[in-house]
Amino acid sequence: MMQAWLARLAWARVFGLLSAGFVVFSPTASAQGGLPGAFRINGKDVWRAFEPQREILQQSSAVICKDGRARIRSLYGVIVSDDGHILTKASEIEHASQLSLRIGNTVYTDVERLGVDRDWDVALLKVAPDVPTIPVTLGHEGDIQLGHWVVSNGSTSRSQRRVKLGIISATTRGISSDKSHVVLGIGFGVNEDEEMLWKVESLTEGKGAQKAGVQVDDVLLSADGIALAKREDLVKVLKDKEPGDMVAIEVKRGEETLRLDVELSAREERMTRNEQMSGGELQLSARRSEFSRVIQHDTPVNYDDMGGPLLNLDGVCIGMNIARASRVATYAIPAAELREIISRMVE
Amino acid sequence: MSLYPYFARSILRCLVCGLLAGALCLLAGVELGAASFTFNEKEVPQTKEDLLEIQTALVENLEPAREATVSIRLKEGFGSGVIVSPDGLILSAAHVTGGVNKELTVILNDGSERKAVSMGLQSETDAAMLRITEEGQYPYVDLNRDDDYLQGHWVFALGHSGGFDKERGPVLRLGRIVMNSRTTLHTDCKVIGGDSGGPLFDMSGKLIGIHSRVSHTVEQNMHVPIREYVDHWKDLESGEFIGDGAFAKRPVKGSGFLGFASEDTDDGLLVGEVLEDGPAAGAGIQTGDIVLELEGEKIPDRAQLQSILKEKASGDEVEIVILRDGEQKNLKVTLGEK
Repeated sequence: MMQAWLARLAWARVFGLLSAGFVVFSPTASAQGGLPGAFRINGKDVWRAFEPQREILQQSSAVICKDGRARIRSLYGVIVSDDGHILTKASEIEHASQLSLRIGNTVYTDVERLGVDRDWDVALLKVAPDVPTIPVTLGHEGDIQLGHWVVSNGSTSRSQRRVKLGIISATTRGISSDKSHVVLGIGFGVNEDEEMLWKVESLTEGKGAQKAGVQVDDVLLSADGIALAKREDLVKVLKDKEPGDMVAIEVKRGEETLRLDVELSAREERMTRNEQMSGGELQLSARRSEFSRVIQHDTPVNYDDMGGPLLNLDGVCIGMNIARASRVATYAIPAAELREIISRMVE
Repeated sequence: MSLYPYFARSILRCLVCGLLAGALCLLAGVELGAASFTFNEKEVPQTKEDLLEIQTALVENLEPAREATVSIRLKEGFGSGVIVSPDGLILSAAHVTGGVNKELTVILNDGSERKAVSMGLQSETDAAMLRITEEGQYPYVDLNRDDDYLQGHWVFALGHSGGFDKERGPVLRLGRIVMNSRTTLHTDCKVIGGDSGGPLFDMSGKLIGIHSRVSHTVEQNMHVPIREYVDHWKDLESGEFIGDGAFAKRPVKGSGFLGFASEDTDDGLLVGEVLEDGPAAGAGIQTGDIVLELEGEKIPDRAQLQSILKEKASGDEVEIVILRDGEQKNLKVTLGEK
């Protein structure tokens, strides 16, 4: 008993001090009891109050299976027409050899892939031949309110869709990664002073920048002809590059301006503490950034629950779940953008 | 057993209603707080109206709570906190402030930064206090001093998850109190790193807890109840380090080190080898520097340096003056742990 307690202290010390993040405690014997699971925010007795929204999911969301494994759900989809058009998350089905899907109780094995929008990571599917389907009712900008209930697809049985509950939890906005997957091999200071932002503080041994002759205290001016102001500017330049690609940079050294060609190398990924706390990379959507606008909500869904509609209390579809981003955040494409995607892809 | 609170309080509520709630409350000196919401009386919401009531209470009380929620920048990573007085008193977690009388930076919701200093902490329960040292009028929230938050009550959490993001703002979460012990509240509000020290509110927007730790499941997380702050208010205000718990390490005199070798010479105390990635290296001290002063005292030799360090603990920040190429430099070093 005492030992267990001491072990917990050790945990606390490690996480409390090293990460400035949360201390992780395992629930212990003393943590038994409490509010019955059924009464918790995602307990089955609370779900009952959401039966009208569940019925919308039952008729207007699709359960998507891949590679001929019709019993193993991979993803959800949003029904967007009355003759079998369905939107889903593209990157999750990219390598699937074969798709099948289920709407309500009916299984469809003949599913075509009509197109992909890479910017939104959305794929358009079509059940063949035409079948009558009930599309979601798309909402409007005013339906997206901080603190409002939202309903997503949770788990599902073969015949019954189930709900997962949350609320809109942050300002609707664009998500761009602060990281590219290739690097120059330059360490910049943490200084937020704009003039100091691009001052070279350190160089990674043996990487492109050092080999190209960049020196500590040089100031980076541009990359590929793009003048650098904000941090995001460099990420934008590097985003679509691959390891081994060259980038032409300009640096200021004293009074001189030098042009150098730097070979890019792959970023050596270290999982962040928050990614670990979210169950690691595998629990999150692989594609979870570079969206021009998303709704953020706190519904505790999994990466394979993406692709389905996000409903409000009126059963209106205010978005489409597109990425599980962390332990506390799920992103959805807002209805306005969804409307534009549908009109562009379905016609 | 677990239904007891509902049962007991619904009887109470019938009584209160039956005997003219207002008059009775006045007589008893009870202010209607969290308990006045009908959704807190029910096992679960049953209708859309029940759900709308929760949503309405949340939306109506959200804005002041968001305004008062701050991000705290640490040496490594971020925490959160919440302002509880107009002159900038902040409640947070002990594992965020990390000690007493430490300089911290607070980021307000508009993105502006304020200097702050940590005050007292309770190392066994994770309670801590700090204050903004720059004068001003700050948005703040009221504490729930009635201690009327109970298991089953609906609550909302805020915090700068993963650090400050102006465009995103503080992140909101909704949940219920799933367990309630004297020194720990458990809720099913989802929290993550960066939220530590952030606020938990009852549905009237009064502060009932501070985020402390997560469990291995996403949907059970722990908070320090606000009664823990109220009980220790004076000690927290006066900068006491309370207890010998896991959430903060009591400073031990003589436990700190600078991270360089030194040698007495005719020119003064000469810096020899500097430990790579050590405290001194981080502060910019280099081999060949001459140490002139430490903490405002002249350093003629190594013995003097040691006698000052003996009174300091790891984690303390010390001011050091060095001479390099004929130029004096004032540097700050956070002492490492021996």
